[in-house]
Amino acid sequence: AKSGMGADFIMSASIVDVYSLSCPASAPFFGYFGAAAAMFLANLGAAYGTAKSGVGISGMGVSRPDLVMKALIPVVMAGVVGIYGLIIAVIISTKIKAPSMDNGTMRPQYTLFAGASHLAAGLAGGFSGLAAGMAIGVVGDIGTRALGQQPKLFVGMILILIFAEALGLYGLIVALIFSASPTGTCAE
Amino acid sequence: SERSPPGSCSSLDTMAHANMNAMFPSGGFFDDWLILFEGISPYALADVGIGISIGVSVLGAAWGIFTTGSSLVGAAIKAPRIRSKNLISVIFCEAVAIYGVIIAIILSTKMGTPEDYPANTAADCQSPALLKATWPRLPGDGAACQGSLYMKNLLFAAYAIFNSGLTVGFSNLFCGICVGITGSGCALADAQNGTLFVKILIIEIFGSALGLFGVIVGIIMSSPAFIK
Repeated sequence: AKSGMGADFIMSASIVDVYSLSCPASAPFFGYFGAAAAMFLANLGAAYGTAKSGVGISGMGVSRPDLVMKALIPVVMAGVVGIYGLIIAVIISTKIKAPSMDNGTMRPQYTLFAGASHLAAGLAGGFSGLAAGMAIGVVGDIGTRALGQQPKLFVGMILILIFAEALGLYGLIVALIFSASPTGTCAE
Repeated sequence: SERSPPGSCSSLDTMAHANMNAMFPSGGFFDDWLILFEGISPYALADVGIGISIGVSVLGAAWGIFTTGSSLVGAAIKAPRIRSKNLISVIFCEAVAIYGVIIAIILSTKMGTPEDYPANTAADCQSPALLKATWPRLPGDGAACQGSLYMKNLLFAAYAIFNSGLTVGFSNLFCGICVGITGSGCALADAQNGTLFVKILIIEIFGSALGLFGVIVGIIMSSPAFIK
């Protein structure tokens, strides 16, 4: 599916600008930026969660090396937040339609409404992933350090981490709902 | 391009004058603020995206390398045995920079040059006022005015390439910082207890997966687009 313009354009006649206010040429910017924001914001959250819990685990592991494998759970949950961002970004990217060549003119296929809804989806999912990752990081850091001193805290730490992970899940659900909204069609 | 005559600077006059006389490289007129996104040359936007993908990725790799490297040499003062094993943390950070280079090369192969840009040769394609009179059709059915709309159709590809570079660059930035911090913890823990190295390395592997997520999304985003 070519979206660039090549020699075909030169050979056509009767060139018309069919971009309209409902399907402007700038609509894909918002959609793609939503996908990008979902990915890199969720990645920021996942990176924060991984690094902060990793520091706690490294500190705890010096005195209790036997508990390190159990303490890796916050790291896995932070990785899952990154995957939420990946899912949202891929779903949005595949819904953005390139303009198609039709009888000598390039017709847009992507409405501004769709661009706005995909931007909203990406920002919702991305910032929620950031929030979840930050929560997982802080809880994982201090939770693993406390786990090293009191192994009975394991279940309590997991429960708190699950609530933190749920925030990312809320963002994923809302992002999927936004990106599934009906987008309308461009004028013929 | 024509300018407003001196003394005619009321805002309404300027808007009307801009409407008639401002034609953007993408073939649009100033009708609403969305033209701000359409007014940037698609070649420039895509090239900035490529620059971001490699520049910001390398920034993340560098950040990670100095974080982990400084802890490594500090901890190795009292435990020199950790030197060679913990270089793997530095390599994980370097991989982040390699991801940025790969995506930058892939995106730059999608770039064409404006040599194919059809020139506006006819006299009635030079004046924005005449173009505006027949818009959305081009004067003379556009046989000699193809350049007026050429750029607008490149914008889709430019947006895809720019945002793909943005995704990859910033994902790799955060991944590099994460792997650096975790690698620092790994070196310090390894210096105190040698059995901890492999366990803390698992955390670094989770961290470096984040850069891969960014690369995957970047490739999926940019695959339907090219600017030729």
